[in-house]
Amino acid sequence: MALDGNGAGVGAGLSAGAAAASASAAALLMATVQAVASRAPAVIASAAQALGTVRLALHFGDGSQAALWAVHSRLVVQAAAIAVPGVQVHFDDRALKLLFDADRQPVDAVWAGSLDVRGERPDVLATWRCFGVLAQRASGLRAVQALWCAYRDRHPARWAESVLTPAAAPPAAGTRRAPAHWPALDYLDQRHPLDAEPLAQASRSLWDGRRAAGWGDHAGLFDDDLQETMQRMKRKVVDEILRLLPRRSPRAELYDLMRDYVVREGKGLRPTLTIATCMALGGAADAAVRAAGALELFHNGFLVHDDIADESTHRRGKPTLHTSHGVGLAVNAGDGMNLFAVDLVLSNLPTRGLAGTLGLIHEVMHMCRETVEGQAIELGWIRRNVVPRRDGDYRRMSLKKTGWYTCISPCRIGAVCAGVTDPALLDRFNDCFRLIGIAFQIQDDVLNLVGETDQYGKEALGDLLEGKRTVMMIHLFRHASVALRQRMTALNALPRSHKTQAHAQEMLAAMQQAGSIDYAVALADKLAHQGVKHFEHDLGFIENNPAKAVLRQIAHYVTTRAL
Amino acid sequence: MPAFRPPADADSPAPLGPRGPFPQARLSQALDRRWLHYAFLSRDGRHGMVANASWLGPDADDPQGEPRYTTILLLHERGKPWVASQFNAEISAPPWSAFRQPHALHSPQPLHIQSTAGAPAVRLQLRRTGLPCTSQCAPFAGDQHLRWQSEAGVRAVGDWCLGGVGSPDGVGGVGGVGGSDGSGGSGGSGGSGGLGGHWQRDVDAVGYHERVRGRWGWPALGEWVFGFANDLGGSADAPPEYAAVFTFIRPVAPADASTASVMLWHRGHLRRHFPRRNVSFAVRGQLARNDVQMVPALSRLFGVPPMAPIPKRLVISARLGADWTVLDFEAEAAARVIIPSENSLRPFSVHEVIGPCLLRGELSGRAFAIETRGIVEFAGGAGGP
Repeated sequence: MALDGNGAGVGAGLSAGAAAASASAAALLMATVQAVASRAPAVIASAAQALGTVRLALHFGDGSQAALWAVHSRLVVQAAAIAVPGVQVHFDDRALKLLFDADRQPVDAVWAGSLDVRGERPDVLATWRCFGVLAQRASGLRAVQALWCAYRDRHPARWAESVLTPAAAPPAAGTRRAPAHWPALDYLDQRHPLDAEPLAQASRSLWDGRRAAGWGDHAGLFDDDLQETMQRMKRKVVDEILRLLPRRSPRAELYDLMRDYVVREGKGLRPTLTIATCMALGGAADAAVRAAGALELFHNGFLVHDDIADESTHRRGKPTLHTSHGVGLAVNAGDGMNLFAVDLVLSNLPTRGLAGTLGLIHEVMHMCRETVEGQAIELGWIRRNVVPRRDGDYRRMSLKKTGWYTCISPCRIGAVCAGVTDPALLDRFNDCFRLIGIAFQIQDDVLNLVGETDQYGKEALGDLLEGKRTVMMIHLFRHASVALRQRMTALNALPRSHKTQAHAQEMLAAMQQAGSIDYAVALADKLAHQGVKHFEHDLGFIENNPAKAVLRQIAHYVTTRAL
Repeated sequence: MPAFRPPADADSPAPLGPRGPFPQARLSQALDRRWLHYAFLSRDGRHGMVANASWLGPDADDPQGEPRYTTILLLHERGKPWVASQFNAEISAPPWSAFRQPHALHSPQPLHIQSTAGAPAVRLQLRRTGLPCTSQCAPFAGDQHLRWQSEAGVRAVGDWCLGGVGSPDGVGGVGGVGGSDGSGGSGGSGGSGGLGGHWQRDVDAVGYHERVRGRWGWPALGEWVFGFANDLGGSADAPPEYAAVFTFIRPVAPADASTASVMLWHRGHLRRHFPRRNVSFAVRGQLARNDVQMVPALSRLFGVPPMAPIPKRLVISARLGADWTVLDFEAEAAARVIIPSENSLRPFSVHEVIGPCLLRGELSGRAFAIETRGIVEFAGGAGGP
C-alpha cells in the first residue's frame, strides 16, 4: 500500500493510526508522514522540495522496508522496497528515535553507525536535508509524539536509555504550578480555576519580577499543528455565532436549524484565514471574530440554498437541511443565516467604527456578488446542458463561485479587520488565494469522485449526479469521441432523480479512461504551486510572524492535500 | 465657564521647593509631555470618572512654537455607556493638582471640567487626604522616558453631568445624548446618555491624582498597565483605610526596560513601595467586546486599527519581607480612548477599565482585606499595518 502525504489509505483517527503505526518501523514512518502532512503541510512541502527527485529505499532495524519519494509537494511512502533507489538508507531504532522523537534535536545528533545513507553525493545531501526538515520541524507535533509513544510502548526492548536530558513537562492547564516566588499566576489558577471558566483562556504572566509579556499577546491561539489551529479558530467563531443567535421562538423551525448547521463538522478554513490574516497584519484575533462569523453564516446560507439547487443529499457528513426538514424550512433557514450574517457584520460598528464597518460591508458585498454570479454561471451550464470547452471557463466560474468566499475574501476581510484600507494592499491577497482557491475547488471535485464519503463528508459521486461541470468533465468532453460525448450529454440531461449510481459510475469510468482525473490533479498541483509562489512574493510586505506562518501552512495545505 | 483656552499655569513659578524631577521647564521638543491625570470612583460604586490634561511640546516643524494642549473627560455610570468629551474639554485654571498647587490636607479646592458642548461635565471640590508616593521613572528607547508621581485617597465631592447640556442650577439644560461637538456615548449598547441632561448632585467619590512628565513617542513606549484602588468605605472625612497604586511599563526596547511597582497606602500614608523584583502581574480571559466602547465618539470615523482584547481579570501580587498584598481586579466595562499619535498616522489606545476588585494582604503584622472598585489602564497599540 502506498500513502501520499495525507495518507488516503489510513483511517483518520489518531488512536487507530497509532495502533497501526506500532506494527513496524515502516508503518510508523508512513503514519508519521501522514500525520505531518495533515497537521503541518508546509513541513511536508519543504521536505518534499528538499528531497527533489531522489527516491529512497529505507531499511529499518526491525526488518521492515519502505520507499519514500516526492511527488510535487507530497511525500509518498510505500511499504515495500523499490527496484532502483537513488539512495539507500539503513536505520536502526536509535536513529529512528533521534530522527523523529528526540525533542527537536538536529538530525546530526544521530550516532555514527546507527544511520547509514548511501548514494550519489548530491542525492545523499538531498536526503539529509529532507530528514533534517522532518526531524527538526515535525517532531514537535503532538500527533507525531503520540505515534512514537505508541510505538515505543509496543516495542520497549528496542529503546536504550535516553541520552537526552528529559525536558520538564509543562503543567496541564488549570493545575497548580510549582510554587513560584511571586505567585500572581498561582493565585489566578487557584482562585479562579480554569474549569470554572471553560471558555476562558489560560492565565498568563505579564510580569514575574524579571520577564515581561504584553497584555495583548495572543499566546495559545496558534499551534504548530494546523488542524488544531483551525479547530481553535473555528471554535472561537462558532462560539461567538451561537452566543449571538437569538434564543427565542421559532426555535424548531428556524434557530435550531441554523444552530445545527453552524456546529456541523468543518475544516475551519475560512475562520482561520480571516483571523490569521488580521493577526498577521497586527490586529487582534478578537477583532476579526465577528467578521469571520459573518462569513461562516453567509457560507452556510449559500450551502443550504446550493444543496437545494443541486438536489444534494448530504453535507458535512449529515443529511442536507432540505432533506431532513423540507425545502421550505431549509430555504427560510438559509435566508435567516444570510440575514444574521449581515447583522454580525453590523455588530462591528461599536468596536470597529463606521469606516471600518463600511470597509467590511464593501468586502462582504463584493464576495456575495461574486458568489451568486458564479453560481448563476454554473447553474446556467447545467440548465442548458452545455459543457464549456476551455479550462479557463471553469476557472472563471470556480473563482466566482467559491474562490472569493473560500479564500480571497476571508483574507481581505481579515486585513480590513486589522485596519488595512489601502486597495493596493488588499489586492495583494487576490492572485495567490485565487490560484489556491481554484486548486482547492478542483481537489474538492476530485475527492468527490475518488475520496471516501466519511472523509469527504458529501455524497459520493454527488457531483456527477448533479451534473457539475468540473475540470474532469470538461477534460472528458474535450477528448472524448463524438459517440461518448453524446452519451455523456444524454446522461447530463437526465434529471437528478432519474440518475442512478450506475450512471455516475459510467461517467467516472469514462473520466478515468480519458485520464481526466489525473489531468485535474496535475492542474490543481500546478495552480497550487503558482499560488504558493505568489504568496511568498505578493505578501512579502507582511513580516514573518506566527499568524503569517499559519497562512503559509494553509497555502501548502492545498499542495499536500490527500487525493 | 470661560471659552476654551489652555490653562495659563505652564509658566507660573514653582511655589515651593526645588524643581526636582518635575521641573517647570519649557516643553522644548515635540515629544515632551506633561500630564495631570485624575480618576475617581463614587463611594456608592455607581459612577466613575477619568480625566487627563496634557501639555505637549511644540510641533517638530515649529520648535519655537507654543506647547500643544488637550483635555479629555470620561464619565461612566454602571450599566450604561461611557460618556466622553473630545480632546478639547475645558478645565478650570489652574488645574487642581496636589503637586503643582500645593495646599493643606483636607482643604477643598475646585476642579471643573466640561466638554465644549457642555456635557459631559464635572464640578468638583477636591480634598487631599494623604501624601503622595515618591516619583518613579522609566527610561527607554535611548533618550525617552516617563516619570510619574501618584497620590491616592483624593476625595472629590460635587456635581456630575453625564448627558445633555445643562448646569448644576438646572438652567439651560438640553436633553439628548452628548453634545454638539460629537461627544457622547457610543451607540454600542443603546443611546442613553445616563442622566439625560440632568446633573447628578453631590456625588461623593474617592480617587487618585497623578502627574507625569517625560519624553516619549507612543510606538516606542509599547504598553503599560496602570491603576489604583481605594477603600471606598469608611468616614468621608478620613483618608481611605487602604489604597494601592500599581504600574507596569513594557517599552518596546531595550529588552530590560520593563518595570513594575506596587504602592500601598494605609490611612493616607504610603507604607510600602514594592519594587519591581518583588511584584508580579498576571491576567486571564478577555472582556467581552460589547463591554468595550471606543471614545471619543468621532474617533470611530478614523478606521482605527483594532486593539488586543482586554484581559477580564488582572491579579497583582507583591511581597516585601513579611508584608504582602494581592489585588484581584475584574474588568467590568472599558472605554478605549483613541489618542492621535504626534509623529505618525497610527493612533495609540488607552483602555480605561472599571470594575470590582479585592485588595488584601498583610502590613506590619496586620492582615487586611477590602472589597472595592478600581480603575485600570491597559495601554498600548500603536501598531497596525
